[in-house]
Amino acid sequence: MSQAIEDTAPAAVARPGGALARSLIGGLVTSLPVLVVGLLILNFAPTYYTFLALGAFVNLIVVVGLQVFMGNSNIANLGHSAFVGLGAYGVAILSTPLAMKKLSIPNAPFGFATLELDPVSSALLALLAVGILALVSGKVISRLSGVAATIVSLALLIIVHSVFLNWTGLFKGNQAFFGIPKVVGLPWMMVMSVVVIVLARLFKDSRWGLQLRASAQSPQAAAALGIDARRLRLVSWVLSALICGLAGILYAYFAGTISPKLFYFQMIFNTLAMLILGGMATVTGAMTGVIVLSVGLEFIRSIESGVTIAGIQLPQLLGLSGVALGVVIVLCMAFRPSGISGRYELDELLSRFFRHAK
Amino acid sequence: MDYALQQVLNALAFGAEYSLVALGLAVVFSIMGLVNFAHGEIIGVSAYSVFLAAALGLTSPIVAVLLAIAAAALAAIAFERVAFRPVRYAPTTTGLLTAFGVSIVVQNLFMLLISPKPQSVSILNGLNQMWFFGPFAVSSLQVMELIVSGLTILALVLFLNRSTLGLAIRAASRDFATVRLMGIRANRVIATAFAISGALAGIAAVFIMARRGSVSPDLGFSLVLKAFVACVIGGFGSLPGAAVGGMLLGFIEVGLLVALPQEYGGFKDALTYAIIVALLVYRPEGLLGQRVELGDKEI
Amino acid sequence: MLKVENLSVRYGAVAAVRDLSLSVGQGELVALLGPNGAGKSSTINALTGLVAPSAGRIVLDGQDISRVRTEDRIRAGLTSTPEGRHIFANLTVGENLRLGAATRRDPKGVRQDMERFLALFPVLSERYAQAAGTLSGGEQQMLAIARSLMSRPKLLLLDEPSLGLAPKIVVRIFDFIGQLKAEGLTLLVVEQNARQALRFADRVYVMSSGALRFDGPPSGLADEHGLLNLYIGG
Repeated sequence: MSQAIEDTAPAAVARPGGALARSLIGGLVTSLPVLVVGLLILNFAPTYYTFLALGAFVNLIVVVGLQVFMGNSNIANLGHSAFVGLGAYGVAILSTPLAMKKLSIPNAPFGFATLELDPVSSALLALLAVGILALVSGKVISRLSGVAATIVSLALLIIVHSVFLNWTGLFKGNQAFFGIPKVVGLPWMMVMSVVVIVLARLFKDSRWGLQLRASAQSPQAAAALGIDARRLRLVSWVLSALICGLAGILYAYFAGTISPKLFYFQMIFNTLAMLILGGMATVTGAMTGVIVLSVGLEFIRSIESGVTIAGIQLPQLLGLSGVALGVVIVLCMAFRPSGISGRYELDELLSRFFRHAK
Repeated sequence: MDYALQQVLNALAFGAEYSLVALGLAVVFSIMGLVNFAHGEIIGVSAYSVFLAAALGLTSPIVAVLLAIAAAALAAIAFERVAFRPVRYAPTTTGLLTAFGVSIVVQNLFMLLISPKPQSVSILNGLNQMWFFGPFAVSSLQVMELIVSGLTILALVLFLNRSTLGLAIRAASRDFATVRLMGIRANRVIATAFAISGALAGIAAVFIMARRGSVSPDLGFSLVLKAFVACVIGGFGSLPGAAVGGMLLGFIEVGLLVALPQEYGGFKDALTYAIIVALLVYRPEGLLGQRVELGDKEI
Repeated sequence: MLKVENLSVRYGAVAAVRDLSLSVGQGELVALLGPNGAGKSSTINALTGLVAPSAGRIVLDGQDISRVRTEDRIRAGLTSTPEGRHIFANLTVGENLRLGAATRRDPKGVRQDMERFLALFPVLSERYAQAAGTLSGGEQQMLAIARSLMSRPKLLLLDEPSLGLAPKIVVRIFDFIGQLKAEGLTLLVVEQNARQALRFADRVYVMSSGALRFDGPPSGLADEHGLLNLYIGG
């Protein structure tokens, strides 16, 4: 067991400053593929693909956020899209122009109907709201055993979704909330993706991240070392929630229109499958999973909506993408629980590769 | 008075259904640590089997009930054989995510192969009538839910305490290796646990179909989420805890339905879950769960 | 009755048992001794099938059972009382005994055996309906052995029956083991406590560091030089 704990902390570096620089550079290396894909799309792809890419970047940020909690604490979180939704609705309520609000939420309480903030302040306030919800829910979740924590994360999702649906005065219920200023394009999305990837990596390599991973592998041993697993779970839960909230904010700012069902089980299925396929132990895994499944799902969706092959129109195959997602999860868990990328980050793989090549 | 009695019956009927499903989850969890998120799809397979049989000309409600229970038990055994056996010795999170994957696959197969839209099934509607006892009018379905669930739980308790296989299931929840040293086949113990879990889900499927008169791909999903919450509040893996948690959930729900003004009715689920979460703040290990410290002597 | 040929057990790169051969004849009580970490428990686990051997053959009554599942080895007549007792703490004493007879199809015989053991161990009779976890260590060991005997084994493997018990109780347990031998049961007893194990043993094997160091009658042990005594630690 002690062997396993050592393995998760590759090449401990003596100087703390050196470790920081190492994981900073590591994070940047890990985000390189994202930048490359983003730049290619930015310069060469038609508009339709840009739109798809924006969606994929949002998923990327969500999955990285999910990794921060799941990858380090090894507890399944099935409620993270609640935070994505809260982030999105937060900026929608704060930044939508008054003229639009008159149409959508004229009777909003607390003076929100007559409030219009700039996008940046709205985003910060939305993150604050996400942070508060995360802190409150995290207090409960960090105290529970793994399974109970997972169930409560689900309960949180249902609570938040049900509030979106039923508090029509503020969230506009089942209908789409439109008129959110579209201020985010691909460049911003890329910048934010790099930021969260580096952030997730820094957390993973930090003392907190290391302690949390140690306690996930061997609670007794970690407790004997004086590690306060509850507090660490809380910290990673809140950080994870904030990153997910950021994803929601960015989504609202590029799409301009949101509705509650976007932030429900479908998002959970998609992002969870991405993280599992890529490998939840690493930030690299999160990224790999998003790239592979985004392309794969787009392909399947094109079949799902009924393709014409050699002049024969195939029927609509609703549910095909869901079946594929589920199969990906089941097969991964049975044959490669550590996902595509396994235990190592991209920079660690590269440095191993070059060391062996020499 | 009439109204109060009616609401108590409501709560008992809801609670009985949650208890049944929660017990099914707890039986499987207690022996192999699997958090079976695909339990709702076992209910789904059961319901769609009845739907297909009715479409093919089945008219007898009794046969439909038996079919529902058998189909659910077989589906549970099949899920274990195909999907859960490869991850039997894996960490809890691996099993949980596998089950989540199975749930997504099966739900989407219903969509793909049958229809994403609800399909009408009327064969069991006869179970849902109004019975009159003097001045009281009660729903036959609710009375049956209560009686059938009670009898089922009684049968389960007898099975677990009297039969050798039942004893083996209880023993396996603590020490599977030693159960095998008794010459009892591990696969047989696990298959039995899944069959029980499935049969309980099948009974729940009958009630759902009788109440709704239709089947849909997400038929069992929200019920199972509630059953999970019942398990957590009762103490995860504890069978009495699952039953008690289910009943408690039923009473909380009906209590909220009574207490909430009409226009806030939509918040019922949100508030139910919020109350449960708040209870967990005070008892993280659940009502009947024991706080196990490492190194405690097991009794 | 039991023949083990060139058995090896590996856990990854670590060899716990290397090229071990031993045999137990009908009606014999054979002791397998050795210090902590000698590979005794790995040997037992390989015999019951709870760990897969990396090489070697296990033959019971002329039948190669090396590839047979644990459950079916028990059915074939090889029963083991595991180290640390492993009684079912949440079940009653009676339920524990019933599970011991899970493979049997003769309810009448089961009832007779049950009555016999309850008469033999009055404590178990007194605590019949009580959770087995409430028994003392010695009582649990009695229960564990009685539970194993409920399957009417041809060969009983006893893994460290003295572990964690007070000396007086250990003597009582071994008295009972001697009695079982006298009744004709074939036994393989794995022990660290050499003195007790040698009281009734027909033959002795001594293991250390995964390999066999001695094979012979108990009297042979006394003649060996001091190093061997160290291995036994008796």
